[in-house]
Amino acid sequence: MAGGGRPAEVRLPEAGALIDATLIGQGLLNGVLFGGVYSLMAVGLTLIFGVMRVINFAHGDMMVWGMYLAWLLATRLGLDPYLSFVLCAGALFALGVLVQRGLVDPIVDAPHEMQILLMLGVALVLENSALLAFGPEPQRVRSSLALATLWLGPLFIDVARLVTFLVAALLAGALSLFLFRTDLGRAMRAAADNIDGARIIGVDVRRVYMAAFGIGAACVGAAGALTSPFLPFTPALGLSASVTSFNIVIIGGMGSLPGAFVGGLLVSVAESLGAVFLSSSLKELVSFSLLILILLLRPAGLFGRRLA
Amino acid sequence: MRWAALGAVAVLLALPVVPGLLPSYAVTVFTFTFFYAYLAQAWNVLGGYAGQLSAGHAAFVGVGAYTSAMLALEAGLSPWLGMFVGGALAAGLGAVIGFLGFRFGLRGFYFVLLTVAFAEVCRIVALNTEAVGGALGLYITFTGNPAQFQFRDARAYYYVALGFMLAGTALAALMERRRFGIYLAAIREDEGAAEAAGVPTFRYKLLAMVVSSFLTGVGGTFYAFYLFSLQPNSVFGIPLSVEIIVRTVVGGGGTVLGPVVGSFILSPLAELSRFYFAEAGWSGAHLVVYGVLLVVVVLFFPQGAVPGLRRLAGRRAG
Amino acid sequence: MITSRIDRRSFLRTAAAGAAVAGFPLPLGAQGATVKIGAVHPVTGALAEIGQACRLGAQMAVEAVNAAGGIRSLNGARLELILGDTENKPDVARAEAERVINAGAQLLTGAFHSGQTAAMVPVAQQKRVPFLIDISAADPLTANVAQSVKKGEQKVQYVYRNFPTTRMFGQRAVQFMTEIFREAGVQPRRVVLIYTNDLFGQTQARQFQAAVKERNPGFEIVESIPYPENATDLSTEVTRLKSLRPDIVAPVTRATTAILLLQELARQRVEMMGVISPGTPGLYEAGQIAQLKELIEHVMDNVPWPNFKNPRTRKVAEEYAKRSGGKTFDTNSGYSYEAILVMADVLERAKSTDPEAIVEAIRTTSFKDGLMVATGPVTFNEVGDNPNASTAMIQILGQKPVVVWPAEAAQQKFVFPRPGR
Repeated sequence: MAGGGRPAEVRLPEAGALIDATLIGQGLLNGVLFGGVYSLMAVGLTLIFGVMRVINFAHGDMMVWGMYLAWLLATRLGLDPYLSFVLCAGALFALGVLVQRGLVDPIVDAPHEMQILLMLGVALVLENSALLAFGPEPQRVRSSLALATLWLGPLFIDVARLVTFLVAALLAGALSLFLFRTDLGRAMRAAADNIDGARIIGVDVRRVYMAAFGIGAACVGAAGALTSPFLPFTPALGLSASVTSFNIVIIGGMGSLPGAFVGGLLVSVAESLGAVFLSSSLKELVSFSLLILILLLRPAGLFGRRLA
Repeated sequence: MRWAALGAVAVLLALPVVPGLLPSYAVTVFTFTFFYAYLAQAWNVLGGYAGQLSAGHAAFVGVGAYTSAMLALEAGLSPWLGMFVGGALAAGLGAVIGFLGFRFGLRGFYFVLLTVAFAEVCRIVALNTEAVGGALGLYITFTGNPAQFQFRDARAYYYVALGFMLAGTALAALMERRRFGIYLAAIREDEGAAEAAGVPTFRYKLLAMVVSSFLTGVGGTFYAFYLFSLQPNSVFGIPLSVEIIVRTVVGGGGTVLGPVVGSFILSPLAELSRFYFAEAGWSGAHLVVYGVLLVVVVLFFPQGAVPGLRRLAGRRAG
Repeated sequence: MITSRIDRRSFLRTAAAGAAVAGFPLPLGAQGATVKIGAVHPVTGALAEIGQACRLGAQMAVEAVNAAGGIRSLNGARLELILGDTENKPDVARAEAERVINAGAQLLTGAFHSGQTAAMVPVAQQKRVPFLIDISAADPLTANVAQSVKKGEQKVQYVYRNFPTTRMFGQRAVQFMTEIFREAGVQPRRVVLIYTNDLFGQTQARQFQAAVKERNPGFEIVESIPYPENATDLSTEVTRLKSLRPDIVAPVTRATTAILLLQELARQRVEMMGVISPGTPGLYEAGQIAQLKELIEHVMDNVPWPNFKNPRTRKVAEEYAKRSGGKTFDTNSGYSYEAILVMADVLERAKSTDPEAIVEAIRTTSFKDGLMVATGPVTFNEVGDNPNASTAMIQILGQKPVVVWPAEAAQQKFVFPRPGR
């Protein structure tokens, strides 16, 4: 009797019946706002690859360390992550330089797969030292903005994500200014274009490499700190963050900064809309399908100029 | 070199006798060492000889494992046969990935990511397909019946895994000196030059992919019937692909003995570090040590252990 | 290089000792003899938090048994744990099972993740080492072995489980929810199920759906929303959930996504009567409560839970909090603890460490001193499962998880519907 007495509208046969303009609009908005983080992660990765032709498999784990540093600064010194991200970026810059000088530099001419192996080793060390140091429980950094929302008619905007998005965009902008307006930046671009050519015109390649790895790590460290108020984290988060960064970088075009930025937004929006239109558990499929399509149709990526 | 060869022969002769002498835990460690050496050898055909780095070989293990397990569970087909069906399906998937990737000229990191993406798609599809158990996966009943690829005595798995490794290595040795191996090496060294010299690069790369994925898929059956359950995350996941690659690369890609040596270095090291730190109770410390060891191996043998040792031996002789 | 040499030496030494134990059973009559139990859990990797809770629970239980005089019928033999780590991988689980057995383990427990437990089952069967699964969801783990023994493919079943079956979870969830709604005098109609698309989430979701279909309560599941297990953002899922106007949100989560979900529910101001899970981790751990503060208040969860009406449970929980840096004695630490107590009881009655004698004692278990909420003593049925293992409805009240249902185990009266905020 419980089955028969209820109004028919209760039984919703298809998820499709629910998709209305608000839901799509909200999905789009959520995607764009979260995309800022994806972009910043990818900018770091693409910079390292563009200049050094090294794939940073420890990228996601570096991000996780950025998050734990923000957490330490918040819990010990009461610093809001929206301020402390500068310190986190600085610490990760140092780590990046260290990894580059100590580990990557000696084998920069070794085969591709050796570099992958090296970075996998670094990733293991970073992940599990975080486990040793901080334990396996998920953490979240408290920020005064954490639950603030703005309402635009039926749509809501999460203030923390909005701020993160804006800071990420600002950082990406600052980075392109650096690359186009400073000597070191120009040298990095020259090295990315043609390493031998750069050597001939007197570029200090070692210094360029160090700067690239350092800045790349700093980007992902900042991304970690900026997401820590709304993305709970554990030491095991690194791998999926690395894979996401790889996808974005390929989709945008390896070594292309605008590509990484736009790719981050694109992947995030696609995943968010995937959760609207598909069963949400299939939303992972969206970014991988996008990746396969891009690889087959335009392997240099949306903004890439050439294949490596 | 002669000493190395003699040593290898001595080890080879000793291996069949070992299970009788060692505790069963060591037998298990050896079994995994052989099995991963076999998978690494299969990867070596594509990643080592042809220089096409695939980071999605777990997909072939998964396809092979799920195929033979489903055939055994649903149709009662013996895994001894299902193994080859699984291998064939894995080879089919390999052919599709290879065709798409090579046709569109994907190399290096691009090919790495294409293979990762395909493996992840397989994982997500399996997770969401109820017919193959979804996330719960498949569970195989332990019966101990050899006709069902199950053995009451763990030493039997040791011999099966040893057989896999020896067969894979023999195949690599056979291949290395024929046209197939030489062409693949030419492609790895300089694809443009190989093409110019008349090597049909596309066809040979595709062939390498098919052989490699077939062998890997066959190995999937061992995985299924040694571990008795399959979950998408464990058989299609990135960590399994990494396990396979790491062994070949540490040992030295594109050499016959590289995958075997790599596996013999890494599997026992992983066990030892886990063993040592499990007692101390520091969760995670053993993986830090493992990571450090990977880094050390790369820094000291940037070409892999086998070429590195060869060079050392050469220097001493000269 | 030095470390690796030390490793090898100590490995050989211990391996030799292990072989000695495995090959030549020590005479247990001697004072100071020990019974070794292999405890294999995922203490690193994605399930590390849970695995470490299981490990600590088992360690404390062993200490408690030893402090109480060990196994009397074996001349006060002491229990000793041999610890293993699955690294959240099935192949490692198998190797670890072999290793702990080799180091002398005469009993096994573990391994939380069903895939990893499944990899240990054949080892236990081959080596004839009784294996008491402390926690694992998948039904085939014991059922497959029982079936194979029935068919005569194997002689003896060595694998048993002291944990509610997944069917039990779903049935109890619907039963408790119906009873609580009746008691509260309200009738929620629309339930939205949102679950992590992994082994645990899928199983729980299916059983909950099946139980709702079967028992036909006054509510129905209007939509089931699975999300990827390592989701980093659930804002769109929650937007969709909100558009379904749920009375009840029923989540099955992991710790990380539980935080994401509750944050989003608050941020998007989803109006509802309450959050009630059919059974999930992530909604009761001390760390989670500290993270989520007011967001987790009034959340209900149908989980296997320690019976805090039992003074002994309260004492253990206090000590557990001390030893773990303030964590809650919960499902995982509780069942891993209880598994050791059951083993001690079994050994006491077996009066021997002979595997067949142990199995015989397991089959005739009727253990009344358990710490968990249950419908009766710990016993094992023909499949090898404990039919009396149960769940309880807990609720976060005053920032603490307390049992609110069934009435006889309740520590406090539930608050439902949750107060407006």
